[in-house]
Amino acid sequence: MIEARGLSKRYGDLVALHDVSFSVQPGEVVGFLGPNGAGKTTTMRILTGFLPPTDGVAAIDGHDIFSDPLAARRAIGYLPESPPLYPEMSVEGYLAYVAKLKDVPRSARSKAVDSALDRCGLGDVRRRVIGALSKGYRQRVGLAQAIVHDPPVMILDEPTVGLDPIQIREIRSLIGSLAGEGSARTVILSTHILPEVEAICRRVIIMNRGRKVVDAPLDELRQTGSLEEVFARATTREIVTEEVAS
Amino acid sequence: MRHVFAIASRELQSLFVSPVAYSVMTLFAVLAGFFFLSGVLQFQEYVIRLQAFQMTEQLGELNLNDHVIAPFLHVMSVVMLFLIPGITMGLFAAEKSNGTQELLLTSPITIWELVLGKFLAAAAFVALLVALLAVFPALLFLFGDPEIGKTLAGLGALLLVGLVYAAIGAFASSVTQSQLIAFFLAFVLLLVLWMLGFLADLGAADGAMASDTVGNLLRWLSTAEHFESMVMGLVETKDLVYFAVLTMGFLVLTKTTVESVRWR
Repeated sequence: MIEARGLSKRYGDLVALHDVSFSVQPGEVVGFLGPNGAGKTTTMRILTGFLPPTDGVAAIDGHDIFSDPLAARRAIGYLPESPPLYPEMSVEGYLAYVAKLKDVPRSARSKAVDSALDRCGLGDVRRRVIGALSKGYRQRVGLAQAIVHDPPVMILDEPTVGLDPIQIREIRSLIGSLAGEGSARTVILSTHILPEVEAICRRVIIMNRGRKVVDAPLDELRQTGSLEEVFARATTREIVTEEVAS
Repeated sequence: MRHVFAIASRELQSLFVSPVAYSVMTLFAVLAGFFFLSGVLQFQEYVIRLQAFQMTEQLGELNLNDHVIAPFLHVMSVVMLFLIPGITMGLFAAEKSNGTQELLLTSPITIWELVLGKFLAAAAFVALLVALLAVFPALLFLFGDPEIGKTLAGLGALLLVGLVYAAIGAFASSVTQSQLIAFFLAFVLLLVLWMLGFLADLGAADGAMASDTVGNLLRWLSTAEHFESMVMGLVETKDLVYFAVLTMGFLVLTKTTVESVRWR
C-alpha cells in the first residue's frame, strides 16, 4: 500500500532524513515513533507529496508520488500536525469543501460528509463555526477531513498532541475504530507517546536523527522488553555509536 | 476546472463573512460618492461661470465624459490602488498562517487550479466594485447625455486595471505569511507601477534620462499611461495586450512562488 525506498531529505548541510525505506501492507496500522526532530513529520510530508525528497522514491497505492501525484494524493487522507482548518467556516461547509477538493463526485458528496460527521461524532456541531469549537472537537474535524473521501491510506501526524487525557482517549478510540479489524484501511500514525502506539498499532517504526532504527511488529518487540526500553535503547544506541565513530 | 470554482467560491465566502469585504466596499462607495459629487458640482460651477462670461466656444467643448466621468474614474483607479491589496492580502498568506496550505498542497489539485481559483475570487470582487461604481455615471444618463461607448470604455479600463492589481496582490500574498506584509508589498508594487510614467516625465524634464528608450519603456510599463488613454475612449490593442501581459505575468510568478514550497 505504501512503498518508500531510500528516502532522504537534506536542507543544505542539515540531514533531516537519511535513506529511509519501508513498506506497509494493506490494512496495517503502523506507529511512527521517535524523539522530536527524528524525521517523522518530514517522512509523512514526503509521502503526502507536500515536500519532495532529495533522494529516493515512494508510491501510494501503486501510484508514484512524482509521476502520478494526483492519483497518489487522492488515495491519502492526511492530518497534519496542526489540523488545516478555516476558523470562519462551518463544520459541514468545511467538509463539503474538502470533499470537492478530494474529487468526491457530486452525487456522493453529501453522503460522504454525513458519514464523516457521523464517524467522528460531529453530528451535534455540524452547523457550528470551526473557530468556536474546543480543541478536541477541532482535532475531530481534522480527522473527519482526512476520511471524508474514504481514502485507502491514512497518514496522521501526532493526532493527539495538545489534547487533555479524556480527549486523547476519545481520539484514540476513534482512530482505532477507523483502522479497526475488517477495514482494509492502512494507517501511519506518528507520535512520541509510547502507550498510544501500544493502544492502536500492530507494528512500530522507530526513527532517530533521520534514520530508521527499528522496524518490527509490536508483539515481537514486547518479547525483548517493554516498549519503553526498546525505544530508549534504539534512540540512545544510535547516538553512542555515532559518537564513538566520530 | 471544478477545483477552480470550489476554491474561488470558498474564498469569496470567507471574504464576505469577515468584515474585510464590507469595509472595502463601504470605503469604496463613500469615496466614490464624494468624488463624484464634487466632480459634478465643479462641472456645474464651471458651466455657470462660462455662461456668465458668454464663452460659447468653451461651453461647446465641455462634455460630461471628459470633464466628469474621466476624472472620476481616474481618481477611483487611485483609490483601488490601496483597496485591492486589502482584498488580496489574505489569498495565500492566510492559508499559510492557518496551516491550510498543507491541505491544499496535499489534495489532488494542481497549483494552477489553486492560483486561478484565488485569482477568480479576487477578480469577481473587483468586478463587483466596478459594478458598484457604474451606478454613478449611470445617474448622469438620467440627467444628461454622455456618450455610452466612451463611458463603457472607461469602466472597462477600470476593470482591467483592477485585474492587474488583483494579480499583483495575489503575488504579494504568495511570498509571505503575514497579511500585513502582503498588503504593504502589494501597495508599494502598485504605487511604483502607477508612478513609472511620472518618473519618466521627471527624467525627461531633468535631462537626466540617458535616452528616450528608457523613458519610453518606463512609460510603457506604467499602468497610468494605458489607463489614461482607454478612459479617454481610445480602446487600443496595445493597451489590452499590456493589461493581459501584466495580469498573466504576475499569475505565473504567483504560481512559481506557491510551487516553491516544494523545492525547499
